[in-house]
Parts: sequence; C-alpha cells; structure tokens
Amino acid sequence: MPKKTSALLPTLALALGAALALTGCGAGTAAPAGNAAATKVLGGTIQYAHQQEPSCVFGGWIEQAYLSYQVLDNLVSLDSNHKVVPWLADSWSTSADGLTWRFTLKKGVTFTDGTPVDAAAVAYNFDYWLKGGNSTAQVWLAGYYKSAQAVDSQTLQITLSAPYPRLADTLTQGYFGIQSQHALTTRTAAQNCEAPIGSGAFIVKKWNRGQNILLTRNTNYASAPANAKHSGAPYVNAIDWKFVPDATTRAAALKSGQVDAIYDVPSIEWSTLKSGGFQLDRYVTPGRPQQLTFNLSRAPFNDENVRKAFAYSLDRKAIVQTIGRGVIPFEGNGGVSRTTPGYSTAAAGAYTSDPAKAEALLDAAGWTGRDKDGYRTKGGTTLEVVLPYGAGSIINADGAAILQGIQEQAKGVGFKVRLVPVPQSELFAGAYAKPTEKDLSVGYWTAVTSGILYVNWKQSTAAAPNYNNAAFVNQPELEKIILAANSESDVAKQNALYEQAQQYIADHALAIGVYDRLSTLAVSPRLKGVWQENAQGGPVFDDAYFVK
Amino acid sequence: MTSLLTHNGILSPRRVTAVPLGLIASVATVVLFAIAVASPGLIATHGPFALHLQESLHAPSLTYWFGTDESGRDLYSRVVYGTSQSLLIGLGATGVSLSLAVLLGSIAALSNRFAAGVVNRVIEVLFSFPTLLLALLLVAILGPSILTQIFAVGIGTAPGYARIIRGQILSAKNSGYVEAAISLGHSRPRILRQHIIPNALRPLVAIIALSVGQSIVWASSLSFLGLGVAPPSPEWGALLDSGRAYITQAWWLTVIPGLVIVALALAATTLGKYIQKALERGER
Repeated sequence: MPKKTSALLPTLALALGAALALTGCGAGTAAPAGNAAATKVLGGTIQYAHQQEPSCVFGGWIEQAYLSYQVLDNLVSLDSNHKVVPWLADSWSTSADGLTWRFTLKKGVTFTDGTPVDAAAVAYNFDYWLKGGNSTAQVWLAGYYKSAQAVDSQTLQITLSAPYPRLADTLTQGYFGIQSQHALTTRTAAQNCEAPIGSGAFIVKKWNRGQNILLTRNTNYASAPANAKHSGAPYVNAIDWKFVPDATTRAAALKSGQVDAIYDVPSIEWSTLKSGGFQLDRYVTPGRPQQLTFNLSRAPFNDENVRKAFAYSLDRKAIVQTIGRGVIPFEGNGGVSRTTPGYSTAAAGAYTSDPAKAEALLDAAGWTGRDKDGYRTKGGTTLEVVLPYGAGSIINADGAAILQGIQEQAKGVGFKVRLVPVPQSELFAGAYAKPTEKDLSVGYWTAVTSGILYVNWKQSTAAAPNYNNAAFVNQPELEKIILAANSESDVAKQNALYEQAQQYIADHALAIGVYDRLSTLAVSPRLKGVWQENAQGGPVFDDAYFVK
Repeated sequence: MTSLLTHNGILSPRRVTAVPLGLIASVATVVLFAIAVASPGLIATHGPFALHLQESLHAPSLTYWFGTDESGRDLYSRVVYGTSQSLLIGLGATGVSLSLAVLLGSIAALSNRFAAGVVNRVIEVLFSFPTLLLALLLVAILGPSILTQIFAVGIGTAPGYARIIRGQILSAKNSGYVEAAISLGHSRPRILRQHIIPNALRPLVAIIALSVGQSIVWASSLSFLGLGVAPPSPEWGALLDSGRAYITQAWWLTVIPGLVIVALALAATTLGKYIQKALERGER
C-alpha cells in the first residue's frame, strides 16, 4: 500500500489551487461601466483608502496636508496653471519694497466652532506656525517672516524682513491651513491634533487610530477656493478615510468595489485599472524630487570625484523607466523636480550612465584595490556606502525596487551600497538622521516653488541649525545664489538664479535626482468629480458625487 | 505533525513494500538543495542580483525558468542563491529550538519536583503563545536580521519540542528496562547514560528533519511580514514578500517561491518519517 507518496500530489494541488485563487481574486474588474447617462446622487459616504497614517491631522508632512486640506481652508489656492487664486482671501497686494503684504479676507466666513474667520485669527495662525505649530510652515517662513497683524477685521498685514515675492504661492500648501484661534487657545493639544477646527468642507468626526478617520460634511461650507468646481457644501455626507498601507490590498479593494477611491496606485496596476474604466490621476509633485544627497562630511563622499563616479555609475533613467512602467518619470535633477517653476533641464542632464568614466574617477581618487567580492578598496577599506530609506513611508514599493536597481548598478564599478530599510516609526523617531550614520540620503520634499532649495541648502549654524541639509556641510556660495533668487521679484531673473543654483548642485555633485515623486489617485466609475489639488496633489472630495 | 511520531501504528514497516517514491523524491529534492547551497553557481543560470531591465516581469520561459521580477532579475537563480540563507535559518533555528527543548525537557522530566514544576510552568506559558507571536515579539525587541530570525523561530518553536522530549524521557524513565536496571543495582548516571538518554532522544533524529522544514516555513513567514532579511536578499520568504506587490500581474513571483518552500518542507518531513521508521526497525 504505497499510499503515502501520493500525499505529495494533493498537497501540491492544494497549493496551486490556493495560488490561483489568490491571483484570480485580484483580477476583478470595475463596478458600473458605461455610465455616460449616469445621474447624480446627493449624499453617501466616500470610502477612500489612503496609504499612510500621520500622527496628527494638521502638521508638516504631506500626508497631514492631504488630510488637513479637507478640514482647513488656506488664504489662497493654486490653479492648474500655477496661478495663485483667492480662497479665504479675496485679494492681496504687496508694497513697493516687497516687505509688506496685505490680504483682504472674505466676509461672513466662520470656523466650524462658530467663531469668525477674521484677520486676528489668521494672524494668530502665522505666529502659531512659527512657534512650532507646523514644522514645515516654520522652515518656509523663518528668515523672512517678521510679524502678522490685523489692520481691521478683514485685512491682514504680513511684514517680512526681506522680500519674498513667492509668499502667496507658498501659502497655498496644506501646511498653511487656517485654524480657529478659539480652538487653538482653548482646547488641548491632543484635541487640536486629532480634530483641528477650520472652516473647510469637512469636519473630523472620529479617528479610529490604525483604521480610519471619519470626516463629515460641513453643511455651512461657503468658502470654497476660486478654482473649486462648485461653491457651497460638499455633495456627499462623509468621507471614510481608511488607512490601508499595502498597495496591492488597496488596488484589490478598489477593483472589488469595497472602496471608491485609492491613493498611491502601484505602477503595475496602472494599465489594468485604466482598462477597467477607473479614473486615474497622476500629479508630478513639484519641489524636491526623490533624490540622493551625498554626505559630504565624511569619506568617501567628501571627495567630489567619488560623488561624480557614483553618479556616472548609474543608469537611473533605465531603472526608473523599467520599474516605473511609464508612470513614474525619471528625474536627473538633484535640486528640484520637472514641475517646479525655475527647473533646470541642463542640471538634470548633468550625469548620464558612463561606467568607464566612473571607473577612471575612482582610480584617480585612489580607490584602486579590490576585495574578495570585487568591491573597490583604498588602504584596506572597502568602498561601502550606507543608504537608509524610509520603507513604506518616504519610499514606496516601486521606490524600493528602484533603489535596489541603483545598488546593483553601482556595484558594477565597485561601490558596495548597503540598503537599510527603516520602518516609519523609527525614521520619524530620528533613526539614521545623523551624519555619522549614513552616506546617502534619499527623499523628497514637496513645494510649489524652487524656494525649496533654501529649505534644503540653507547653511546650518549653531544659532540656527538646519537639520534639512542632508549634505551636512554648508555651501555658502550656493546659499548666496538661492537667497538672491528668493528675493528677486522679476520672474525670469528669479528662475535664472534658481537654475544657477541647480547647476551648482550638479557641478559639485551634491545631490542627484532619481525619480519624480507622484501623487496618484484611482477612482471608481461610480464616483465623479474627484480631482487633485494643484499645490500638493492631494484628493479633493468637496466636488465629488456618486452616480447611479 | 508531532502526533505522527507517537502513533506507531501508521508507521509500520510492513506497509511500505513498493518502491518508496516519496523517499526517492525527497532525497532528490534534498540533494538538489544541497547543491544549491554548496555551489549555487553550478545550477543557477544567472546572477541572483543581475538586472535585465528589458526583461522585466517575464513569465517563466526557457531562458528564465521561474520568470523574472520587476527589475528583470532571474527568479530561478534567486531561488537557488537564496537556498543557503533559507536553509541556514532552518537549520540554525532547529539547532536553537532543539537545544532549548532538550534542556527544558530534561529538567522537566528528571529534576526534583520543584525545579520540574517551575520549568513545566515556563514551558506552558511559552506554549500558550502562538509560535509566530512569540517570534514577532523577539524580532520587535532585537530588530530584524538573520540571527534574530534564527533565534526568534528557534525559541518560538522550542516549547512544543520540549513537551515531546519530556514525554519521551518520562516514558523511558518508567519503562520496564529501566526498572530492571534499577533492580540490578545500576548507578543513576549509568541508567541515564545507557538507557534513558539513548531511548528518549532517538526520536529526535526524526524531529530534527521535521523541524527544519517547519522552521523554514516560520522564517519565511517572518520575512514575508518584512521582519526578516532585508531586500534585495533572495531568501525565500523575502522573495515571497517582494513578489506580493505584483501578485495580480506576475503570479510566478509568489507562487514559485511558495512552492519551493512547500517542496523543501515536504521533502524534509518525508525524510524525517522514513528515518523514524528506520530507527524503529533498528529497535526490532
């Protein structure tokens, strides 16, 4: 009775069956299709699956800006042509010396706690951000902001210490959302963190940590930005803003009809969803792209030749195009991304794949030996560089695959790249932030202007440390160019100066671009009117409605 | 799985009369994996990390037997090169698990009532944790690495084996031949050495084979959860994890590493059963 050997077969069959079931269940198609004559249905709850859960609704991370955008209004908004348009402010003007800005506020707007949105409340917000209420707003305004005061109930005056012609553009980002002064001063920090009070289209109803945030409709909403598709309260009753970290699960939930919209669509799912009738939106985030900044404070990247050798060793374009499958754009520029005003194509093209040049540069830099694994050595030390990355937070699965490609390409000329995936909790607790812990920093920083260069390259001093300078060595010459650009009121001249700064970064190989960070959205055919706002690419649900 | 060891009836040698296909397949599988460990370059067709960017996400073919991943890396070669790491974890975890199990099981069975009571309670407490939870706890404390994975899986699976060993020692201790030895006036150390230990620990040989397969499955689970070896390591669980992102478009990236893990676990289990039978025949 040699029966036992055949036990293998049922087991294998079971495994195969399970595998097929798994792959099969992901291949479902869209819900209703061909709804050209679909009718608008008021009400309903949008089931939205987002990737990452921040610690507070309002804060200095883009994930917070996406959320706070639903709840808070800004002074101004950005339209699809990068023009600043009214939001809470109807109009604004600048003094001749560029140091005084005046914003005239809309009348009759109230926060959801009933207090008025007046100039005093907005002025309070400016001081609140600068005192640490929003870390990103703080780094943008520090060095320029002097004071904010209410001239009268509807007129806000901002005084600067140096001209900053792009102030209005900057204020369109979610980090500058206006909260109720009454709520900020009378409620606990925890309450303002969990459910900030604004005048926005939605109100935070409940946050189930680790699961979802329920946002309900602000029935009195009357302060939509000028570029909104309609004025007045949202069409839907609520948004169930779920946190689903796994991209495959998000895509499967959308296909099976469990959710109506998802954020961060994996590039591999792009074509399937498109052919399935889903609305797909892609926003190439302006600001700092996903780039690699070299740590100049220690060997081996304190040597410019070694930095250039690293850049030449890579075929970044090939790897990004393969992994990105035509969805993720390659970005050669280490300063700003292609959608940022003042972008330099020359700086972006500074380094193309040239392994022979990389080898020659490494030879010249003295990295001539080889260890047993074929990596280059100098004086017995292996040419090893540490590259930590925020796995699942700053870098998604596609990004991680791109970094693995970079690791392998750099190996070709003798670099040993040690990739260290850092979980979100550790990353935000400060892991791998010190110059002694890494040689390369990867990451993005969304912004609407090239002014991001100042945030990233401002000199760090004892009095005013700049923790955002990942090169860890001050570049006074570069800072001078950026400062001149920041205060230049002529747009053409300003762009020329920003381009000069990007060229400086490329010439000295301080940072190299890898790919442009995307904000992507896939929406079910039963939900219409969802769009991506233009400052940061977050989903806008104010104009969204269901159809049947 | 462990219950098979105690039901001697189903393992009667008389029942295996025809060609032992399972044994042959298992030995062949193990030999193949042994080659993959000793000389992966001999059977791999590509480098484990070599990029073929133009060949991204190709289904299994004559050039790429198991298909390619998102960067065009050959999955078959990655599986081959990942064998040593996966087996190291499997064997290492088994070593840790059984060492701990022998220690705890022996104390529980042979020491005085107080010590045995304490150890028994410790085993029971550990036993009440699901294996994966215990392993997760250790990874959370120690941070992900191969060594952590070995210890996490080893410690996680030890309580079950400790119970088996305790039972084996107790049954040997209370057997007729030990009673006979006592009545013949043999010394306690001699009885332990000559009678209890050999008889109690013989089933361990089979347990080791079973445990290796089981440990690989546990270790793969940890890697799959992103708590094992960091990518782009070709360790099998890590392969499963990275393939997950492409499961709807490239089934081979998850199904094939999964089947490889199943094949090794099955081979190890089948071998374990045959070894146990052989040992039992030896007893007769």
